[in-house]
Amino acid sequence: MVGIAGDSSVTPAVAVRGLSSGYGSVAVLHEVDFTVGHEIFAVLGANGAGKTTLLATLAGLLPAFSGSIAYHGTDVTNLAASESARLGVGYVPQEAAVFPDLSVLENFTVGGMIGTRPHEERLEEVFETFPDLRDKLHLRAGNLSGGESRMVACGRALMQDPNVLLLDEPTAGLSPLYLQLFFEKIADIHRTRGMSIVLTEQNATQALAIADRVMVLSLGVGSEPMLADAVTTDLLREGYQI
Amino acid sequence: MNLDWLDAFLIFGAFKVVEIMGLGLLVHLQLGLTRVANFGVVGFWGVGLYAFGVAHLKVDWPFGDPYQFLVCAAIATVAAAAAGLVVGWLISELDDDGTLVGTLGFATIVVILATTQQGLTGGALGLGGLGFPYDFGRVKTHEFTWLLITTAVVALIFVYAWRVHRTPHGRLLIAVGANEALARSLGKSATAARLRMMTVTSGAMGLLGAMHGVMVRSLEINSLDVGVTLAALAALILGGTARVFGAVVGVLLTVALFDIVIQFYLPIPDGWNTQALPVAREAVFGAAIVLMLIFRPQGLLGQMRRPALMRRLHGDW
Repeated sequence: MVGIAGDSSVTPAVAVRGLSSGYGSVAVLHEVDFTVGHEIFAVLGANGAGKTTLLATLAGLLPAFSGSIAYHGTDVTNLAASESARLGVGYVPQEAAVFPDLSVLENFTVGGMIGTRPHEERLEEVFETFPDLRDKLHLRAGNLSGGESRMVACGRALMQDPNVLLLDEPTAGLSPLYLQLFFEKIADIHRTRGMSIVLTEQNATQALAIADRVMVLSLGVGSEPMLADAVTTDLLREGYQI
Repeated sequence: MNLDWLDAFLIFGAFKVVEIMGLGLLVHLQLGLTRVANFGVVGFWGVGLYAFGVAHLKVDWPFGDPYQFLVCAAIATVAAAAAGLVVGWLISELDDDGTLVGTLGFATIVVILATTQQGLTGGALGLGGLGFPYDFGRVKTHEFTWLLITTAVVALIFVYAWRVHRTPHGRLLIAVGANEALARSLGKSATAARLRMMTVTSGAMGLLGAMHGVMVRSLEINSLDVGVTLAALAALILGGTARVFGAVVGVLLTVALFDIVIQFYLPIPDGWNTQALPVAREAVFGAAIVLMLIFRPQGLLGQMRRPALMRRLHGDW
């Protein structure tokens, strides 16, 4: 469900203007522009396109060299990651997304350290989304399989009660079974919880199936965002440089 | 109290075991939970020892013991806690290597200050005149009582470490230690959590330093030896950095083995106690660290979180 695409009168959940970012003095992203409304917004691109850099910058973990980031109209450019989280940004990185020495339940509880709703209520909602985790609460998160780890990471972010969820390649390295399941979960989270989701993916086919709009990132340069239905094979080939 | 059956050296050996156990528990909170590689344990302990000694000997207090001891011990604790806060802040942006060098550098500064500020510390000659904050008439009774008091303090440190594992603050520390970037995205300040931990644990190290000063009744520059850090680290790494009992088990297998079992109960030749044994002790401790890090880096007791423990901690869940 696209909430604000093309509607300038509604404050977007995420507004990125001329964003450049990178590591040290090396710029990876170059003047990226897009807005995200009440929708699933997919950022597609090949390895090295800058997808992880983009999401880490949106989460406040990397500095913006120039440009701006706003959540629901509040400028958060170069705000500390902890402050961004308090403004309602949930972040699930591609790698090392769980705290391995904590149990599954403890991963959820550290996620729920902010927010005002009762802890138990939020936990129940996470179990509704990921019922398989109910039996694994006592396990060390570092001992889980790749798919289970992703579910825990996603559940931990949901415990923060975010209104914007940043998912960095959530299906990378997952088996086909988990891959399909995970995309269904993402669509379900958006539908039932009503949060905006920014998702980076290499798997274009699956991402296009659940996304409302798409931006293709190529060597740190973002395309004009477009409706997922309008994405063509040629455009993807150009973006992925194949 | 008739303590004729008890060897005075055995009391001091037991005191060292208890003292290193306390330091090991505090290093567990720093290294095991938060992954702050503090190689300057003796620095924070030394700040406490010297702050206590200088406050006790150089200030003309209008009251005597036990109040003088309590005030001076509080000064030692606050001084070491302040040092922990400052050092923690200075190393907050450094990686593991930087933390290691930074804390080692801090300990070196403490030793240099203690050596060069002769007017305050007595320098290389040290200062005598510290004493027990009570008077029962016999030195051995004083020392045994002090051992019991120190054991009680270390027991409190154990309970604190035990509790930290079960609190939101402890879980945040574990999260910060495992993945600071991810922890920052949880909405809590990783730096503040780490500084709070450094302040509290360094303060407690300072208190143990003050208690050491009472036991040895003097300030001696030789006591600011890297062996203090080495003993705490070797014990913890042997037992398991991530487990509260790691320090306890590790100290029993290292410090207690050398300073009590070998020293008192093995028929070693005369003279070894003062020459060969201390050297062998440090060599074995160093070797234990290297071997454990190669063959069993999680230590004898293993991982921090196990299903059985987690079921107990989680309660109804």
